Amino acid sequence: MQKVRISNGMFMALIINMVYAKAIGLTQGSIAREVGGDMWISTFFSSIQGCLMMLLTIYVIRQSPESNILGQSELLLGKWFGKIISLILFLFFVGAAGAVYTTFVYHLKDYFLPEAPTIIFVIAGFIIAVFALYHGIEVIGRMALIGVFSILMLNILIIFGSIRDFDIRELMPLFQYGVLPDLWASRHNNTDWAMATMMAAVILPMVKEKNTWKRSGALGIVLGGAFVIIWPILETGVLTAEVAGQYIVSCMQMARSAQIGLFFHRYEMIMIAFFSLSALTQIIMTFFCAAVSIQNLIGMKSHKPAILPASLILSGFGYWVVLDHHRAIDYIETYWVTLAMSIAIGIPLMVLVLGFIFRKKLKQSKSASM
Amino acid sequence: MERNVEELLKQNLTSSYENNKVMVQSILPDHADLVTREFFFHEEKNIAIVCFYFDGLVKSDLISSVIDSFIYQAPRLLKDIDLTTLYKKLPEKINKHILHAHNVKQVTKIQDIIDGILSGDTVFIIDKCDQAILVSTRGWNERSVSEPQAEQVVIGPRDGFTENLRTNTALVRRRIRDPLFSIKSTTVGKRTKTTINIAFLEGTVKEGLVEEVMNRINKIEIDGVIDSGYITELIEDSPFSPFTTVQSTERPDKVAASILEGRVAIFVDNSPFVLIVPAYFWQFLQASDDYYSKYLTGSFFRIIRYFAFIISLVLTSVYVMLISFHQEMIPTALALTIASGRDVTPFPVLLEALIMETSFELMREAGLRMPKPVGQAVSIVGSLVIGQAAVQAGLISPFMVIIVAITGIASFVIPNYAASYSIRLIRFPLLIASGMLGLLGFSVVFALIAIHALSLRSFGESYLSPASPFQPSDQKDSFFRMPWWKMERLPSLAAGKGRSANIQKPKANENED
Amino acid sequence: MAAKFKICVLVCVLILILSGCKTGKRELNDLALVMAVGLDKGSSEGLIKVTTQIARPSDARGQTGAPSGQTGDPIWSASAEGETIFQAIRNLSTFSSRRVFWAHNLIIVINEKLAKEGIREIIDFFTRNPELRMRTWVAVTPNKASEVVSTVTGLEVVPGEALDKLFRYTPISVQAPRTQILDLQASYLSESTEPILARLRLVNRGVSNKKPGQEGGYKQVELAGAGVFKGDKLVGTLKPFEVRSVLPFLEAMDTGMLILHCPDDKQKKITVELRNQKFKVIPSFKNNKPAFTVSYQTDGSVVEAACPFSLEERAKVDAIEREMEQEKKKEFEKLVRRAQKELNSDFLELGKVFHNRYPVEWRRIHSQWETIFPTVEIKVKTMAKVKDTVLLKNQTKSGRINK
Repeated sequence: MQKVRISNGMFMALIINMVYAKAIGLTQGSIAREVGGDMWISTFFSSIQGCLMMLLTIYVIRQSPESNILGQSELLLGKWFGKIISLILFLFFVGAAGAVYTTFVYHLKDYFLPEAPTIIFVIAGFIIAVFALYHGIEVIGRMALIGVFSILMLNILIIFGSIRDFDIRELMPLFQYGVLPDLWASRHNNTDWAMATMMAAVILPMVKEKNTWKRSGALGIVLGGAFVIIWPILETGVLTAEVAGQYIVSCMQMARSAQIGLFFHRYEMIMIAFFSLSALTQIIMTFFCAAVSIQNLIGMKSHKPAILPASLILSGFGYWVVLDHHRAIDYIETYWVTLAMSIAIGIPLMVLVLGFIFRKKLKQSKSASM
Repeated sequence: MERNVEELLKQNLTSSYENNKVMVQSILPDHADLVTREFFFHEEKNIAIVCFYFDGLVKSDLISSVIDSFIYQAPRLLKDIDLTTLYKKLPEKINKHILHAHNVKQVTKIQDIIDGILSGDTVFIIDKCDQAILVSTRGWNERSVSEPQAEQVVIGPRDGFTENLRTNTALVRRRIRDPLFSIKSTTVGKRTKTTINIAFLEGTVKEGLVEEVMNRINKIEIDGVIDSGYITELIEDSPFSPFTTVQSTERPDKVAASILEGRVAIFVDNSPFVLIVPAYFWQFLQASDDYYSKYLTGSFFRIIRYFAFIISLVLTSVYVMLISFHQEMIPTALALTIASGRDVTPFPVLLEALIMETSFELMREAGLRMPKPVGQAVSIVGSLVIGQAAVQAGLISPFMVIIVAITGIASFVIPNYAASYSIRLIRFPLLIASGMLGLLGFSVVFALIAIHALSLRSFGESYLSPASPFQPSDQKDSFFRMPWWKMERLPSLAAGKGRSANIQKPKANENED
Repeated sequence: MAAKFKICVLVCVLILILSGCKTGKRELNDLALVMAVGLDKGSSEGLIKVTTQIARPSDARGQTGAPSGQTGDPIWSASAEGETIFQAIRNLSTFSSRRVFWAHNLIIVINEKLAKEGIREIIDFFTRNPELRMRTWVAVTPNKASEVVSTVTGLEVVPGEALDKLFRYTPISVQAPRTQILDLQASYLSESTEPILARLRLVNRGVSNKKPGQEGGYKQVELAGAGVFKGDKLVGTLKPFEVRSVLPFLEAMDTGMLILHCPDDKQKKITVELRNQKFKVIPSFKNNKPAFTVSYQTDGSVVEAACPFSLEERAKVDAIEREMEQEKKKEFEKLVRRAQKELNSDFLELGKVFHNRYPVEWRRIHSQWETIFPTVEIKVKTMAKVKDTVLLKNQTKSGRINK
């Protein structure tokens, strides 16, 4: 079977989609509750950290560019170590599913279909994800390109819609809560980047141009960060940090109050239609990575048989999280942060160190594969 | 009694004249339009000749002139020839020295003879010869080259393909006078034996594409091919998809332009529609006019068409979704207006939309099938009934009429008929989903359609290219049409490089004083 | 395989869609579109009265063709009481034949008696509910809110729309702040700023067309003045002329006018339109206390003069400019004094201005801002220039020369 490859552009698009939906919606509320008007500074810090995390991951994968982080850990310390890493990664993506589903469901349900049962939203996400997964990573990559396009449109619409009510005074003064709290608050957004870097750790070997991995990874983060950071800036300027902190999904409040001129308003549905394409890509990619982790865990040849069980587990967990608003927010702001950050930084670092120690093994495998 | 035609067809001619004659006649017995003409062309030696042809498939004056040649020229040829050696060389001699018809073949297989007769050639079976002479006398009444009905342009050539394969290939060859422009032939259909020609530009076409097309066509096993639509369905990449992955056109200029860009054209005999592969989705939204008018106008109308595509796809669904789920999205003044129109309507909006969409399709179909004068009457009556009476009776809200009408007009804007059909089809699931689940249903079905479209391929090329996967080099001719002096390269599909020299931008002579 | 799979997906989607599960589907014409809502105190203590102005679409919009409409009023107003707003709304639906739908609500009117007791639950309810929009206008009224909401007013068919347009085009009258629920929420949540709301009043302004003699015969809603809050309680109201000096503190204002005395004849009046107004609050920190300098610059253009006036007479121009500066200064000082001493409410966003400039110092004083605010020193500097007289160049005076 021919090995599936995606282009670097698609890789970048996947990174952007992977981070965007949650970062503008739920994350900003969490940050605003901690550092108020400094939320955009926190987001900015987080983008830098995300960039570093991405570069670390790419560096790790480049140690043995033919295999992803799962394969590499198997190469380093044997089959069982590989399986443990796969299990941890699978748990990571199960956790991610909770956050991702929360984003998707709360945007659509709370504001558009408050009377519809939650399960419908979960099933909808499930169906689309499974349908896309059976078509393979390339189709998902292409969908991510469309996702980026819709993100662009969404940002343009929101900028036009809110620039009139933008009050720069709300952004001042800088660092009103101090640099350290800002940095600390950036952990909320770091979890979003963690999803992107972990995804990169899984799919990087499928990306075509090895030499430009670093550039595309970093560029993806920079673009994603640029798309995201518009939101905290506008949210503070238009809504004020206090109001943004009030809501679970603060970006929707801003979208709802956007108006172009006096007569063109109430167009958040167009925006949310664009948004849902991106959010769906995020769900799909989370499922994909979980399926790949299961594949490595059990040792299957292809990830296709793993799609259905992985999707079921992830959807089930997502449903459980989403069902209770308090549980969802509590989960995202505390447990998920711990889980995500420790895995997303810990595992690449561990593999990096192991790679230094067992450099020979990696070299052997490289020469063997040639 | 069953005739063993298959068995007979496999045989060769023998030197027995009677036998040969009977063989042909028994394969084609009692055919009312089969003409059998027997004559002798040498009064001394009385060499008999019989010719068979189908009346109506041939140009009879051509046959007369062939017979003429036989009777008046052949005796001279035979003057000093020994009769024993004569019969072996006779067909060749006649072929080379006497006949001045433009296409003459010597054949021995019964199969070839019958095929020839069936396609309008005339076969001459000569006494005691085991070779027959097949003279191409094809000629029948056909529609002349006229303006294409389905794809009209304002600016640009007005000729369209006809039902005659040769005329069609000639129309294209007249546009591409290049030795590298080649046409390959094959036959499909056990009974119809339809000739299919595959045209491409050697060196520009991507490697392996022609072979792939040939393979797919040669794999076809079917009794008959009546129109190129048959071929489309038999060589498509994804047969279940509502999207068409093969472009069909009536316009020779379109075919020529596609061939220049490295695509392959499939000509099917008896069909004025020529297939072009691989096809991209966006092509269906591009009209020939775009290329013939100035690039600014071309780009503008192209954008209008993209806009029309979006409208025809989503407008009804969005309206239904807004009315039944997301009333807060409608501007207040508009919401009041719509509500006042809907106050007396008895149906839920989804049903209303379905009724209107269906009746619109009804009217369109009725107008299409009726003879032209009646068709106009149908549309007048239909629009009166639906536009006026239904609203006045309080059955349908006036806004729904507007929505359906705009959707209908927008779908007529799409230049390719097949594509406009497929958009009409995918509109319905979208409509039902948004009527049942609002924004969620809309985005789910839309995402499903999008994923499906993204996974489609047409002869190895991504269907949605160059939008996704994004190809920066092909953007010059996708959303906008860049001026010709900007398009220095062929699209990435083509194997060749250049289209024009580097800088073609016209410039007034600056040195002139 | 692939085909079977696709069919499976299709079936799943169909089941999902056609299962007929409750998704909150309701058609536009089954909804009662609320155009304006009024909140009053209920008939007994602890109750709240909600009055809704609901549009009747078939009468609010003339309909072509269909046999309906033109039989009644464009609106239907109804009120209900309850212990909470939500209960009152639920009680509304006991007699509303259509589902009450809030998303098109244009304005929330709060009675001042209710506002004096606190509007926290109103802010909470109207920002919590997904049906309600953040761009809804909010106003207080001394009259009964139910009356304000049910009065047919303005040129529009639906009074709610009239009120909405009144708010949209108020820059030209400059007599009320344009307050939306978003601003109310933001200033209520803010640690320094206090809310301010526009004020609506019922006044006898309408002139009856049928009986021209009865001037002021029926009531119209007037948008002028403002209500000032401290926390969630209304503490005072501002007169329309006071509001025009509040506006520069809140938002950039485009226009305004000033009536001045003629330099020669103090009985006659000259009207100046204010253009290119520049307004700035400069905070400073002296002796451990914040202080503010309000600087105001404006250009004037003479739009009406009851005495001969032209720009060539520099002395007159100077006199007018001085008077403008004095007037403006007086206005600002009066307002600031009132805010500090009488109302003790920082609706002028001075705390925010100070916070932006001196974040560290603000940390120190922010908990006592309430006690510091009345004592801070606020200086006002004004500058005015008269630069044009619109179209006329010469004075308007009689051609006959009086001797």
